[in-house]
Amino acid sequence: MARILVAGSVIFDCPETRVVLEAKGYQVIPCRDVHAAIAYFLEDPPDILILEKGFAGNGDKDLIRMVSACLQKTNIPILLVVQQEDMKDGIDWQEFPVDDLLCCPVMPETVLTRVQLAEARMNRVFDNNPLSKLPGNTSILNAIQKALDSEVSMAVCYVDIDNFKPYNDHYGFARGDDVILMVARVLVNVVDEIAREHSFVGHVGGDDYVFIVSEDKAVAVCEKVLENFVVVRNMFIEPEDVKKGGFVEKDRQGRETSFGLLSISIAVIPTGHGKFDHFGQVSAAASQMKHKVKALDGNNYLVDQRDFYSPP
Amino acid sequence: MEDAKRQGFKAALRETKNLPTLPGIVVKLTRMADDPDSTTEQMGRVLSKDHILAAKLLMLVNSAFYGFPQRISSLSSAMILLGFNVVKSLIISASIFEMMEKQDVELWEHSLGCAVVCNVVAKRIGVEEPEEVSTAGLIHDIGKVAIKMELPQEYAKITRLMQERKITMRQAELEVLGLDHAEAGAWLTKIWNLPPRLIEPIGCHHDPLQAKAEQLSSAIIHFSDILIRGMGYGHAGDDKVPKLDKQAWELLGLSQEDIDQVIDEVEEKLWEVKGFSLEIQAEAEAPDSAAKS
Repeated sequence: MARILVAGSVIFDCPETRVVLEAKGYQVIPCRDVHAAIAYFLEDPPDILILEKGFAGNGDKDLIRMVSACLQKTNIPILLVVQQEDMKDGIDWQEFPVDDLLCCPVMPETVLTRVQLAEARMNRVFDNNPLSKLPGNTSILNAIQKALDSEVSMAVCYVDIDNFKPYNDHYGFARGDDVILMVARVLVNVVDEIAREHSFVGHVGGDDYVFIVSEDKAVAVCEKVLENFVVVRNMFIEPEDVKKGGFVEKDRQGRETSFGLLSISIAVIPTGHGKFDHFGQVSAAASQMKHKVKALDGNNYLVDQRDFYSPP
Repeated sequence: MEDAKRQGFKAALRETKNLPTLPGIVVKLTRMADDPDSTTEQMGRVLSKDHILAAKLLMLVNSAFYGFPQRISSLSSAMILLGFNVVKSLIISASIFEMMEKQDVELWEHSLGCAVVCNVVAKRIGVEEPEEVSTAGLIHDIGKVAIKMELPQEYAKITRLMQERKITMRQAELEVLGLDHAEAGAWLTKIWNLPPRLIEPIGCHHDPLQAKAEQLSSAIIHFSDILIRGMGYGHAGDDKVPKLDKQAWELLGLSQEDIDQVIDEVEEKLWEVKGFSLEIQAEAEAPDSAAKS
């Protein structure tokens, strides 16, 4: 059952609130100081956050920033608890990017209903990949269209893991899932660190991902992704295979073939100069580029240099 | 009876989550976290010099939520997989010693010194993952911090016993708790889901031949622990340098010439470590340091 972290104490002014929530099977974790709350988020993230405005001075904003900064946690709904006066003064929603609000005095039923609504809404908009928790296809198409409409030139980057299928056959699907999750983390963290503004990371499915960054950052992001992948990769491959530089597994025709270590290929499609007007054209250009980059050995990225759209 | 007592202490240690570290290192890292120009790598270099934060980083990346239980043993991989923001939050939530005592600094120095020796020795022998061995060396004495923080009364008894009877800290621990800091450290890191490749060397650093899968790493840490004590850097809680296990020594296969070169190399690297330690201690005393509770 869902766990609710409550940062602040006003909603407990009515002691029944906790009872009502717990009666419905929610686990309530009260938290009065910001360090404890952040530690909770790190070690054992809750499913919902109820946050009191003005919690621990600037602790409210620290917490929101921490939740929204971490792409794996952006799905956690935040309910902000405010006072009547806050509403009179107006609230800067840029400063408080939350999902819903509760106004004091809050009735226990109100808290319960809002919590249930937050859960329902989260399930509705969720096209996220269940493994990586990254946005899925619908969100990816929207993000590509947004990139095409953007005034800044963006780069849509298609990522794919080489030798993933034989790795999966050889090591088993649980280890395969680890690799998929690992690549998702590497992508998110690099994009987050180098090109946070207007960026997007999505998971098409399996070993295919898309990330979108501004065109001028694309090369730096690709290089860092490949560099980090090489550092982490060997944790997911048995030492003897690392030593051999690959492993032997049956290919699609059932013949014993030796495969290289896992590597990553990235096809980079800049969207500038108005050369695309539809996301379908981007994916067509991408599949041509993917073909080229996959043909190269090892970890690579290739930037589409054409300044016109050539239909396949 | 003896066993029940031991189990009781293990149960108390099980709850250990937020072990404190030196204020200076947290101040330095907090400043880096606030600086938009600092990178994950730069923070990683500082973080990997602190046995408590390093263990915490590995605990996080190997927790079920982050999805890689018992897989990640390298600190640089942990940094890459957790990302800048999680590392930043880890620093914000870090706890520090309320009263910084001389022995806390000295144990920190001993741990870092041991990691340096481990790295030099592991590379000399040609171990495949030298970083893994130095990480195990860095956190090999984490059990000592846990005993001190979680079992303060017993810790006081241990200290008293050591002084009265002139015995090693380990002997005193065994007498008071029925378990030593090596076992405590292995127990904790097991609960934290750290990889077995790190747990076993921590647990066997006083008795490396007990190790089953990781005998070589255990022997390297055993030897490094003794060498760094002998070189007089840091302090591990007692003045008695443990006896070098003969078989463990043979396992390393180091010649006299190797040893000379290892010592030279370690001495050179210790300059950097000493400088860093002074910087950290100055950091904690600086008037503008953001003291946190």
